[in-house]
This record gives sequence, C-alpha cells and structure tokens, in this order.
Amino acid sequence: MVDEGRVVLKVQNLKKYYPITAGLLRRVVGHVKAVDDVTFSIPERTTLGLVGESGCGKTTAAHTIMRGLEPTGGKVVFHDRQLGAVDLATADKDTLYQVRRNMQMVFQDPNSSLNPRMTLLDLIGEPLLVYKQAKGQELVDRVAELLKHVGLRPEYMRRFPHAFSGGQRQRIGIARALALNPQFIVADEPTSALDVSIQAQTLNLLQDLQDEFSLSYLFIAHDLSVVEHISDFVAVMYVGKLVEHADTRRLYHNPKHPYTEALLSSIPRPDPTTSKRRVPITGELPDPANPPQGCYFHPRCPYAEALCTHEEPPLQEVEPGHYAACHFADKLSLRGVNDF
Amino acid sequence: MAAKSNILEVSDLKTHFFTEQGVVPAVDGVSFQIKRGGTLGVLGESGCGKSVTGFSILRLVRPPGEIVAGQIRYYGRDTVNGDDLAQIDATSEEMRQMRGSEIAMVFQEPMTSLDPLFTVGNQIMEAILYHQDVSKAEARKIAIEMLDKVRMPQPREMIKKYPHQLSGGMRQRVMIAMALSCRPKLLIADEPTTALDVTTEAQILELMRELQEELGMAIMFITHDLGVIAEMAEEVAVMYLGKVVEQSDIESLFTDPQHPYTKALMQSIPKVGQKADGRLETIRGMVPSPRNIPTGCPFHPRCASFLQGICDTELPQLKQSKPGHWVSCFLYEDGNAGHSSTPPPAPPQSIGEG
Repeated sequence: MVDEGRVVLKVQNLKKYYPITAGLLRRVVGHVKAVDDVTFSIPERTTLGLVGESGCGKTTAAHTIMRGLEPTGGKVVFHDRQLGAVDLATADKDTLYQVRRNMQMVFQDPNSSLNPRMTLLDLIGEPLLVYKQAKGQELVDRVAELLKHVGLRPEYMRRFPHAFSGGQRQRIGIARALALNPQFIVADEPTSALDVSIQAQTLNLLQDLQDEFSLSYLFIAHDLSVVEHISDFVAVMYVGKLVEHADTRRLYHNPKHPYTEALLSSIPRPDPTTSKRRVPITGELPDPANPPQGCYFHPRCPYAEALCTHEEPPLQEVEPGHYAACHFADKLSLRGVNDF
Repeated sequence: MAAKSNILEVSDLKTHFFTEQGVVPAVDGVSFQIKRGGTLGVLGESGCGKSVTGFSILRLVRPPGEIVAGQIRYYGRDTVNGDDLAQIDATSEEMRQMRGSEIAMVFQEPMTSLDPLFTVGNQIMEAILYHQDVSKAEARKIAIEMLDKVRMPQPREMIKKYPHQLSGGMRQRVMIAMALSCRPKLLIADEPTTALDVTTEAQILELMRELQEELGMAIMFITHDLGVIAEMAEEVAVMYLGKVVEQSDIESLFTDPQHPYTKALMQSIPKVGQKADGRLETIRGMVPSPRNIPTGCPFHPRCASFLQGICDTELPQLKQSKPGHWVSCFLYEDGNAGHSSTPPPAPPQSIGEG
C-alpha cells in the first residue's frame, strides 16, 4: 500500500474466521470474522500504529501475522534478511522457525508475560539458546549487553522478575525480544500497563532501539496520543476490517473516515481550555458474530445515508497513500484532531 | 450559622498500613476540600495513595491499614458543624447508612465490583432497599429509572441481565446507576474510565457531567490521566507518595504548573495533535517503594531542580505560592529556604470558601 523504500512486511487480504457451531453435530452456522480482509504493509525502519476499540481484532490480527494463529486466508509476505520474501501464511514449520528469529513480540502485561521462575539470564538467554546463537560465558556476555541496551544493570541478571518494577519488567520483555537482533517487532499495548512517567521512558527506549537496530514496529495501542507520537503510519480497525490507513499526520489532521473522526473527538485533552462539549460517538461496537448490514459503522455514523445501510464500502485510495473505507470519503469534510 | 459551602474537608489525614515488613504511610498528611456540587480531581501515579484516600473517606480501609490521624469532616448531614468520619466506627450502623446514601463510590473495574451471581437489577435494588423505606416493586421502579438515567437502552430488559452479558461500558453505567440510586451528595469515582475504550470513556465522562448537573452531587475524581482530569475537574490535588504536592484550580494547574513533579508529568505525555519528531521528556528513576520513602522532599531523587542540602534534609510544606495555588516545594519559598523555625502553615482552608 505504501511505496516508500523497502517493505519489511506486506499483509494482503488477511482473514481469520472463527466458526460458530450449533446443535448436536456441531454444524457450522456462521463465522466470527475477527480479522476480515486486512491489507497493509510496513516499510523498513518505520512504525505502523494499529488502533481501534477493544474487540475490534487488533491483537488477533497481530497473532495471525506472527502465525501464532492459523490464518483463514490471505498472504503475509515477510522480507527476511536471510531468506528473502516468505509467505508466512503458508510457510512450513522449518521456514517459520528460521523466520521467527527476525520477528518478535513485546506484550502488554509484563507481569504475566515473564515466567516468574526464570532469572533474567534464563529469560533473555532463552531465544539465544533455542537458536543456538550462544552458550556458556558468551551467553552471559550477550545477555549483559542486552540488559545495558534497555537500561538495566547487568549485575541483576541472576535475579527473578518479581524483584523489578512494572517499567523494568517491560524492559526485560523488550530485551528478550531484541536478543536475536530481529528486523520486525510487534508491540501489543506495550505501555498500557505502565505509569505515565514510566510510559515516556519506554516509548523513548523503543524509538532509540528502532534507530540503533533498524527495527520496524507494528505498534498496537488504544491510546491515540501515544500512537500519534510513535507511529509513521496509522491503520484504524473496526470490527475486523481496516477502515482507514494513512501517514500519521494526514490521518490525525485530515481523517477520511467518520469512525476516525469519532475516535479523535473522544480523546481526553490535557488542556482545560478546550471545549468540553464534544460530540461523543453513540452506541457500542457491534457483535462481530452478527455485524450490521452494509457499512459496519453505519448505525453509529452521523453521516450515514441509505446507501450505507446495504452496501459495504471497500477500502479505497482517496488520496495518494491515504486509504479509507467510506462511500463518502471524498465528499465529507471531517474534523481533524485539532478541530474539536 | 450558615451551612458550609464545602461538602467535605479533609485535614491532615494519615492512613498507615502496619505490615510485617514495616509501616507503609500510604496517605501521610493529606488536606483538601470539596465544594458542594463541585469536582475535585485527585491526580497521581500508582502507589501515591489516591485510592487509599478515597477508601479512607468511606472508612473502607481494612487492617493492617488504619487511619492514624486527621479529620474527615463531612457536611452533608449536619451542614453546619459536620460529622468527622474519621471518628465514626467503621463497622457501625451509622457508617453503613453513610455509605451509599450520603457518599457513594464507583470503582475502576466494573467486572470485579459487580457480583456475577446476581442480575444487575438485583444489585441496584439491594442498595435501594437497604437505604430507603420502599417496597420491592418500588425499588424495582427506581432501579429502572436509574438505568434509564445512565442512558441504558431498554432498561426494563437490562435489569434482568447478568454482568457478564454486558460490555465494559454498560457495566460501568450499571455501577454509576447503583452509586447514584440513593442520591448521594458526594460521589467518589476511582479511575472509573481507565478500563474503558476511548469512545466509551468519552460517553461515560459526558454522562457523569450531565448527571452531576442534574443531581447536584459533588465528585471526587481519582485518576492518573491528565486528559481526563482536565475534562472533569474544577480543582485538582496532585499526589506523590502519600502527600499532596500541589493543589489549585484546573486552569492555573495547566497554565502554570509549579511543582517539579507536576511539570515533569505534563511534559512526559505525548500531546495529541502536536506530533513532534524526537523524544519525550522523562522523569528519571521511578516512584520509590513506600516502605523506603526518601528523606526530605520525597520527590528529590527524581527532581530536576533538586537543591543539595535542602531538599534531601527537610520536608517542604504545602504553601500558597499565588492566590488559589498551593505547592509544597522549596523553590517557591521566599527568603531562606532552610528556615526551619517557620511554623507549618494551616491547611489551605480558603479553597472553595467564596
């Protein structure tokens, strides 16, 4: 979708459906379309922010990309440093093993994603052992190096995660993801569980590491100010579908989808002088097992017309590099983040 | 005597936890006032004592926690002299009557604070039946009215649902309906939107503002989110390690933050709509363990304007730095900052006494 420099990851028409069964014979009566026809790409050394309300399929999309979940359809082309272009959606076990070296994850909750019975050395050294990259003293040295990179003291490597604060644990998770020198990291809400003052440290660390190791990020978050800060491009998801995708500045200042406008309008501003009379979006996220006809957003959309109730809008390029799935994307003049 | 213009006056409240590993001064000398029908925001990071302050007011602090000093004067029942909640027995009938009908609370996690075994109607009715002399049918009617007030669609149907059948936003609406069902004069909202999505959060904040206008209750809004506090509060108390470090009206706090901690917090959040390439300002280090609070000003090890020999030895007091704005920092004390002979100032009494 974006043609700037080389692309590290290209996701095409990715689908992840869960069957709904009923009756004695477990007959399939429908599908929950958790990820439905999602297409985007991430250029090298850039960050794509993926936003949307909880339950919209952000995390399922990330797990399907990493092939932690089996995709129902679509392609996930990863440009591996060693192997070249690999379609992760169809890759065999051996290829996946090789490719996963170069793609890693950082999780939301640093308390539950680190094994409490493993020391920092075990935790951060584990990927190095699995890929036979280092052992013995070399392993210890590599772990010490990684700890320094994320701002932790190497002396602490024989300690257990419980001895560290939430922010420090998130650094341990980041060090573990960095161990194999990956090209691409999926960060799933990496700062949501952290305090405000720790969040800034973690975001800075992620940015420094991006420069240092030429990393590309898929950054999933619900905090729109954090996403704006860290992302080069932003994709907005709604009930399993991408509804808008553009570079950060354009998406925030000149949105083309009414859902994006609604999200931007909802952000609480740390400025008491701005108008407190915003128009909050009404209604709730529809049940993905039983989404509305036509455009999924039409029951909550203030601009919906008859067409929206029966015809589903495709994701189209409204302006070069700016994609939106709305019948009236080129007619509506929507408010950007500073217009509320 | 005329009725007090404040609904609540907390002065020098200390709530300590006597654990096996030592005393944790979770709330250590906190003073603030809340105007009738006004909104006080309490801002702070995890572990600063903001929730324990809320629990202390409702006398919900359990052993090993204990209120060791201070007053919590509530002017809802006796509008002239007030009741000192800190002196009432936490398990007494008087305190039980106070909770819910005078002061109510909305918690952060709507899933864990609702009972999964009872319908939401049952749970709202329980509070009504306890506090009001009404029949079951009348309580049911009030419950439906309250659900309607919090903009629940089809309240007659919703009343029969169990918590797991509702979304997070709907559950938080139920919590608010429950808290407001007995028309409290003060609502303590402890991070009520933290677990919610941004769109749902905006809906709930709007709802709380509307209900406050309609019902006229005061709100104590506890949050860590500067954006939420700017939207909701009229007055703000910023807490750090069990102490109020800065207190002012909302405009003054945001246009002229004074305490280095408040300033650093404001600089460390990304501002939406002002994307700048580059790094965020950070606060160095992390919040120290409450078992091991630094000497002197508790913020001094992380402070960018730390004064050697002063900040690490003496505890700054909350002092008025300009009209309506209090800060506890030696940078704002005139003359010799090290003067220990100055008597500690009275708590900021004049807030809200217009």
